[in-house]
Amino acid sequence: MNSMERIVLTLQHKEADRVPVYPLLNSVSRKATGITYEEWSKDAKKCAESIIKATEEIGADCICTLVDLSVEAADWGQEIVYHDDSAANPAMNNRCIKNADEYSTIEIINPRETPRMSEHIELARLLYEAKGQEMPIIGFVFGPLGILSMMRGQEEMFMDLIKCPDKMQIALRNITETLKEFCAALIESGCHAIMFDTLYASRTIMSAKMWDANEGIYIQELCEFVREKGAMVMLHNCGAGIYFKEQIERMHPVAISFQHIPFDCTDMDDVKAKYGDQVTLIGHIEPGFVFTATEEELREMCRKQLDAYKKGGGYILATGCEYPASMDFEFAKVIVDEAKNYGKYA
Amino acid sequence: MNKEQLFKIAYDSILECNEDKALQVIRDAQANNLNLIELLSMGFSAGIRELGDLFGRGEIFLPELIYSTEVMKIATAAIEANIGVSDIPKKGKMVIGTVAGDVHDIGKGIVCSLVKSNGIEVIDLGREVPALTFVEKAEEYAADFIGSSALLTTTMTEQKKIEDILRKEGLRNKYKTLVGGAPVTKRWAEKIGADAYCEDASDTVHMILGWVAKK
Repeated sequence: MNSMERIVLTLQHKEADRVPVYPLLNSVSRKATGITYEEWSKDAKKCAESIIKATEEIGADCICTLVDLSVEAADWGQEIVYHDDSAANPAMNNRCIKNADEYSTIEIINPRETPRMSEHIELARLLYEAKGQEMPIIGFVFGPLGILSMMRGQEEMFMDLIKCPDKMQIALRNITETLKEFCAALIESGCHAIMFDTLYASRTIMSAKMWDANEGIYIQELCEFVREKGAMVMLHNCGAGIYFKEQIERMHPVAISFQHIPFDCTDMDDVKAKYGDQVTLIGHIEPGFVFTATEEELREMCRKQLDAYKKGGGYILATGCEYPASMDFEFAKVIVDEAKNYGKYA
Repeated sequence: MNKEQLFKIAYDSILECNEDKALQVIRDAQANNLNLIELLSMGFSAGIRELGDLFGRGEIFLPELIYSTEVMKIATAAIEANIGVSDIPKKGKMVIGTVAGDVHDIGKGIVCSLVKSNGIEVIDLGREVPALTFVEKAEEYAADFIGSSALLTTTMTEQKKIEDILRKEGLRNKYKTLVGGAPVTKRWAEKIGADAYCEDASDTVHMILGWVAKK
């Protein structure tokens, strides 16, 4: 059974030969080719080569195109700071939306022609050409509210959400329209699924009501668009107190990549019982834990999660967020090893 | 208006994120010859403490908390302008910053506001602060607490460097160290030898006030 067959069965909530595994191998993959974070972020060819090499060496079952959370915002003109050894970020002191009146300056752009989104589309194409027949390629797209916060600044945007949410809606609308085209291009490039990062849909950040009013309505449109284009919808959210119920209602995802137990669940068994038949669960070993654990502790954590989630399919063993960029591949291999052995179905 | 009524208005202005109300009650307090330090402590700070608890219990959220801490900053600045900062009694002193290589400071900003509102003097070192600077500034300001925030697994190791420098310089027992940030865990705090892991701003306040009470 190859990775594609394994994941297809899993998404159908059937037991494959074993639990699929994906330790969110993104920026750490640059170590497979020895390039800097900046090269990895900006050069689709080098990025694809790195991801393919790391995926093969580690033995993961799928590929996700997550590069960093600045990809989309950069193309609206947000100044981005690149680093040799950590993820790119917006220039904190030079946001492209400087006050609430400037939300109206955010127009619809063509992601096929802008620098970073077009590179991302090219990355998806290269990954699909190399691996798309044997494993799913998942296009990673930041949600509208997340993109807006990169351009306005989180703190400022949060205050605007209280003071003047109406002013933000034109920007959110135009970002959504742009993302539709971005998703279309990623799907044309071969992505089997689009994974939306709904960063703010968690209880430690904002109320479910505020998220729904300012992102839920837009993300629903995007998900419907993705399905019309023939691809699956997945979501990633590594916030504590993630809203599963509200997001499922809006997005109807086939899978959720998560790091923390959802707001309305008590423990892993409860997550499986409440949501295990509605979505495929992807997760949720914390990268912070991976960073500090011994090999034995990591194996124990993998087994605990496999015990809780593997029955009946619908589960992919994964880290809850990106595998630590500063580590080597060894612990990623441990996670894969646990899926291959302890994660076997009888 | 009596004292209690003015305290209540100040308290409400924080919970309602109402800047105009906050500034008006300061003027009213002055007109009524009310001690502004009392207004700050019994009114505004009581409000921000309640807000921190509501946030800790998940009854309010980050946008509301950020907005209210802005109102608190404005009210505090207005009071300080009237009475002079040195008149406000402090229970302790904290240096805090986001570690080197890390530009994220939204959480650290909230911690600063809440800790400050609880009578602790806060020296905010900002973002991308080298480990050595935390220690140097703690010495310079004669701080009691050193707080560091790391939002990335790539920058967490800076928190360990702070501990290492403190040990190397023989200063480890002079300060209580607190670590926080999205990937940071209690386990990490224990591993590097920090005194406390703080899950959020409210947790930080309780930790510090606990230490102050034991002094």
